[in-house]
Amino acid sequence: MPATHILHNFDNALEQLRNTALMMASLTERSLDNAMAGLFDRNSDRCNVAIADDEEIDILEKTVDKEGYEILIRFQPVASDFRHVIAAMKLSNNLERIGDAAVSIARRVKKLNAHPVLPEVKLLEPMYSETIAMLKDALRAFTDSDVELAMAIKPRDREVDAMNRRLANAFTDEMPKNPEQLRGYLNLIFIARSLERVGDHATNIAEDAIFAKSAQDIRHTHPAVPAKP
Amino acid sequence: MNSAQPATRPAQSNVMAVSPSPASPPVPAFEASKVCVWYGTKQALFEIDLTVRKREITAIIGPSGCGKSTFLRCLNRMHELVPSARMEGKITLFGEDLYGATVDPAIVRRRVGMVFQKSNPFPTMSIGENVIAGLRLNGIRDRAFLNEQMERSLRLAALWDEVKNELHRPGVSLSGGQQQRLCIARAVAMEPEVLLMDEPCSALDPMATAKIEELMQELKKNFTIVIVTHNMQQATRCSDQTAFFYMGKLIEMDSTAKIFSNPGQKQTEDYITGRFG
Repeated sequence: MPATHILHNFDNALEQLRNTALMMASLTERSLDNAMAGLFDRNSDRCNVAIADDEEIDILEKTVDKEGYEILIRFQPVASDFRHVIAAMKLSNNLERIGDAAVSIARRVKKLNAHPVLPEVKLLEPMYSETIAMLKDALRAFTDSDVELAMAIKPRDREVDAMNRRLANAFTDEMPKNPEQLRGYLNLIFIARSLERVGDHATNIAEDAIFAKSAQDIRHTHPAVPAKP
Repeated sequence: MNSAQPATRPAQSNVMAVSPSPASPPVPAFEASKVCVWYGTKQALFEIDLTVRKREITAIIGPSGCGKSTFLRCLNRMHELVPSARMEGKITLFGEDLYGATVDPAIVRRRVGMVFQKSNPFPTMSIGENVIAGLRLNGIRDRAFLNEQMERSLRLAALWDEVKNELHRPGVSLSGGQQQRLCIARAVAMEPEVLLMDEPCSALDPMATAKIEELMQELKKNFTIVIVTHNMQQATRCSDQTAFFYMGKLIEMDSTAKIFSNPGQKQTEDYITGRFG
């Protein structure tokens, strides 16, 4: 744990910013979980919760930005303090986008739940498992300043992208066989795409975690995929 | 109009942006090697190895008592004015040993001008006389030359337009910021190779400070500048290189962008982020 600042107000402001960002992260994670549980459990109430929570996520995004701006203006942070403020503000932006993805998923799930169940819904489970795991790990890397964990996120996003492509093909293949469920398959395709976007945002969060800790900017680089055991 | 694109793009650094590399390799102005200073029995500097680049601004930062002003004074042998001070090690300026047996300290101080924390125009002299006081002390009597140097120096110090019609007024009648620029004019009138600045803005308001900082950017076209400052925003804004001193030791020296974005040493990080005093 780094030493405290001579200015206690500075420590308090940084702690407040961190807490707001982590509260937003927790709410966003829950919102995505509600939307996907709504799909797998055919529970539209949870979708409604995800949609309703988005307002609070939006408010928290603005709160993080406001607290970040105030720190920049009042304390003029440098070095790791500066990077943490910038990273928190970028984190909130990515979380807000994930919140939007959760809302988009929830709205499509409500439409799906109004019709007979599509057995292909289960095909989304592995993709969701990997995406939510990526998001949790990215947030843990951010919270714990764990560069090693953050570094491992980026290659996983490529697997999520591949899952999205495979699912889009699978759902498209089903459309001619089951034309009355065309809208349903389209909704599944868009849900998979939303999850793929969540993976992208999780990757961004991991990149920002690395920046905050080590000042390294690994965006738009392509680290090698670790060999599978 | 676009010229031909290079066949390959330059590799991008993954490390947070630092100052762009100069086209030609930097030329060392000062090279300090194993510089130690004692005041009586108390050691103030411990084996400082440091290079100041020509026509760049080097900031020295660190808490009070860390030895930064002592080191600055070693660069023009002003520490020798303190009777108990003693230095070991070597400092060269453009390859010449400043402490060589045959080197006259007065010549060193002519080559290495100094601007102090508190502006100190000669109280009995006019603005114009202040600027050329050093030249006169050195025996120059050619009035045309002195006038030429007076105007040139005041222009270099960005003060000419403000005082050109009142050169006869006492130097101390100017505002604090103007007095400090007058002192800079007095220093540059001697055509030094280096300007040392010891907290030059600590007594000035933000506007006067901004003028001095802007002036420094102009002056570095002609002079090498070393500035000691407690104001880290000032070091960030003005300098190309930053050296961090702590308890008489040089902890770290690097490009200013690197020092203030991702310093290599924890002590530097703790100091610039305000984690110890």
